[in-house]
Amino acid sequence: MSPSNRGAEDFERWGGAAAWSTGSELTPMQTLLWRSERHPVQSSTSTVVIDLDRAPDWERFVAATDWGTRLVRRLRQRVVDPVVPTAPPTWADDPTFDLAYHLRRERVADHDEMLSQAAQIALRPFDRSRPLWEGVLFEVGEEAAYVLKIHHALADPLGTVQLLSMLQSGKRGHTARKPLAEDVAAVGVDPVELAVSGLRADVAALPEVAATTLRNLGLAATRPQSAVASALRYGASVRRLVTHAAPPSPDLTPRTGRMWTFLTFDAPLEPLRAVARQGGGTLDDAAVALVLGGLGRYHARRDSPLLEIPVGVRVSLDRADDLGNRFAGALISGPLAIEDPVDRVAAVRGEILSLHTERALTVLDAAAPLMNRLPSFVGASALRSAAVPDAFVLTLPGPPRKRFMAGAEVRGMYVLGPLPGAALTACLVTVADTACLGVNVDASAVADLAGLEQCLAEEIAAFTTG
Amino acid sequence: MSGLSPDVEAAVAAIESGPQGPEVGAFFDLDGTLVAGYTAATFYGDRLRGREVSPAEFLRTVVTAVDGELGGDPTAIAHVAFAAMRGVSEESFADLGERLFRSKIAGTVRRESRALVAAHQRAGHTVAIASAATRYQIGPVARDLGVEHLVCTQLVVEDGQFTGATDGPMLWGRHKATGVRTFARGHGIDLAQSYAYGNGYEDVAFLSSVGHPTALNPHRDLRAAAARLGWPVLDLSDPVGGSLVAAGRTVAALAGMNAGVAAGIAYGLARGDRREGRNLAVKLATHIPMAVAGVSMDVLHQERLWTHRPAIFVANHQSSLDIPVLGRLLERDFTIVAKKEARWDPRAVVGSVVIDPAYIDRSDSASARATLDGVVERIRGGTSLMIFPEGTRSATPVLGPFRKGAFHLAAQAGVPVVPVVLRNTGELMRRSSLVLNPGVVDVCVLEPETDWSADDMGERIAALHAKFEETLARWPSP
Repeated sequence: MSPSNRGAEDFERWGGAAAWSTGSELTPMQTLLWRSERHPVQSSTSTVVIDLDRAPDWERFVAATDWGTRLVRRLRQRVVDPVVPTAPPTWADDPTFDLAYHLRRERVADHDEMLSQAAQIALRPFDRSRPLWEGVLFEVGEEAAYVLKIHHALADPLGTVQLLSMLQSGKRGHTARKPLAEDVAAVGVDPVELAVSGLRADVAALPEVAATTLRNLGLAATRPQSAVASALRYGASVRRLVTHAAPPSPDLTPRTGRMWTFLTFDAPLEPLRAVARQGGGTLDDAAVALVLGGLGRYHARRDSPLLEIPVGVRVSLDRADDLGNRFAGALISGPLAIEDPVDRVAAVRGEILSLHTERALTVLDAAAPLMNRLPSFVGASALRSAAVPDAFVLTLPGPPRKRFMAGAEVRGMYVLGPLPGAALTACLVTVADTACLGVNVDASAVADLAGLEQCLAEEIAAFTTG
Repeated sequence: MSGLSPDVEAAVAAIESGPQGPEVGAFFDLDGTLVAGYTAATFYGDRLRGREVSPAEFLRTVVTAVDGELGGDPTAIAHVAFAAMRGVSEESFADLGERLFRSKIAGTVRRESRALVAAHQRAGHTVAIASAATRYQIGPVARDLGVEHLVCTQLVVEDGQFTGATDGPMLWGRHKATGVRTFARGHGIDLAQSYAYGNGYEDVAFLSSVGHPTALNPHRDLRAAAARLGWPVLDLSDPVGGSLVAAGRTVAALAGMNAGVAAGIAYGLARGDRREGRNLAVKLATHIPMAVAGVSMDVLHQERLWTHRPAIFVANHQSSLDIPVLGRLLERDFTIVAKKEARWDPRAVVGSVVIDPAYIDRSDSASARATLDGVVERIRGGTSLMIFPEGTRSATPVLGPFRKGAFHLAAQAGVPVVPVVLRNTGELMRRSSLVLNPGVVDVCVLEPETDWSADDMGERIAALHAKFEETLARWPSP
């Protein structure tokens, strides 16, 4: 591709970034996570570690970040909560925004120190009255790593990777006259006003809500059998979703959720995709199978033979295998005892696709609006009481080609997700022809951390040398 | 008409145009897929009727079943059933399986799933039944369909008795999928090219193991999943069960038949022409009941019924309905050969008065031969003969071997054989059923075959048998 083509592609992508996430209210699900957050045990913070081939020029890096926050308005906005929860929280421009508060630079001796620093940054809670991100550029010898901590309300891991892929450049050189967001009047919101207007809207909607409720009750009364049957089927589905996964592994306890350790791995993407194809699955299925393989090795190493463990996966609610925008999280029983990676991929795929028969997949989405009207501890305990997996596994599409940040080449992009009750959270990000696996481990639950790291590395070798 | 819905025809065409050979697998679920309903329920019903179920076990079964429906472990009910089998002899249970197949389950095999199995067999695919059921339920169905391989739940047998435990997991849900993948590895099957058919919500993992999954008459949750996964859905027609209305019409049909016979005989007596009276009786006794029961016929090559009389008409036999159907087809101047024991069968008495069958005493070969000589004389005298060369009714549409008797008679009498293929009489009136359901009987008259002799009889019979099978597998278009 010629440099001018790359430039045109950059402009198009940056235009997309300007339009990224412009809704003014938090969605019900974001609201639930926002209000029930208890960092770090019940955290909604993801951290992205971006390995760079050289330390970028600091001035240029700051300027580029400043431009990014002007392009994507959300990065300069904060969440305003109404004084009483009559309305969803709302995004408002932060009049006191100061880039220096959010972006700094540090120097570390090596990559490992950078990762442990990143984990410490991730463990510190956000100032919830400011824009919900924090970036640190670590200079590691001649190389560098950019660590970006971002709150789920601002962007979920998928959105974070999308946003970063959008903001990065297709070339090493500087682009003058980059596009800017259209100027809009600053949005200011007052918490009391927000609560009052929410209440007013509630009262105004009351007759309609009452009418709808009555109509639904009336419908149910005329067809009591089908109403009861459908309610029972829904309940049965909820029960299966919550109870049917395997019990948690005794070898991944006790979990405190307070000791995060970050691990990163690289794997060539093509062999991974090949194993996925042979097993009839997707890269997502292969990622789950890979993490399970590593955990299988870990359990074998500790003489703790288990057949299956509960794994949290993401299911598309549009067509399966479609990276659409509607997802639900759910638990599967991940096979731990299947040695052949291809067969394990097939088994994982069977488990994940089987979730599509469950009508209650979206139960949390359905319950979120109601729970948001209740005191925040209700939502928090509901989230806590949901069945908890041993591991979350997530696959995220990153940039398909080589990308640059302020003149430094992106070598790898690792997402380290939160640990809501799990012993580990693994995210696989595709960056050009590399699969970047980031694993956040609850160090209190994993007795032999170095052993786990080695097991995961061995499993990656098994997948890629097959 | 082929008798298959356009969707099934398209599926069969896709199988025919796809890759052929044994490295392609075709895996069929049993309950709800190959057969309508649950074979386990049939087995349980039999035990209930035999009062073999204690009240405590019954209660436990019901509670476990309801819990399974309400999101509990759906396989728990099977384990209750397996546990109750502790101490039962394997042999007697296998016999029970055979008995229940003949009396109940055979009639529930879907015709269109039969066509799908046959299409895979013609393509040389490795066909297997993959089911959580046991081999005692599946075995007879598999044999009937000509399916060699079973991937199923194994029960532990010690000293010829069940221990109540399973050998390995029950092949339900993920375990069925694992079983299929293991089978595929052991038999050199390429799963990406293979086919699977299932109906339950638990079949998703099983179906996703192959490159060509089909949700067949899917459970509502599988239907929703199939839509999201982009899997094809096939809805096959179920074998018709006997409704009350159908039962009422059957009674009326029987009354009509008897009235028709009586009227015909009376007419013959009044006119002093027994033969004409008999012909009229046949006409009335077949037209009236079929009209009352709502059964009509769709006949291909009807003219062949008349071009070669007298002749020996040979037909395949699945149902009591075959006799009135053939009677209506042949219309006049024919009789049948029946075994001596059938003479006093109350159901046959009326018919025997009408068509004056030739009774054979199978236990006495000398007298049998004498009777047959008499039959040859009657044939030469202008009376055609109708024979079911399979000898007995088949429990299913699968064709049994042909006996030689009919063809020897054709050689001796020097008359042609007219083959008549009946396709779906077994569906309208099941083997063991007394109820006739409304519908259209498909009939195809094959090319009459002349010049029978003892020399090449074996090969000609085999060739004719093959023609019957071919016609049943691919119904000719008009």
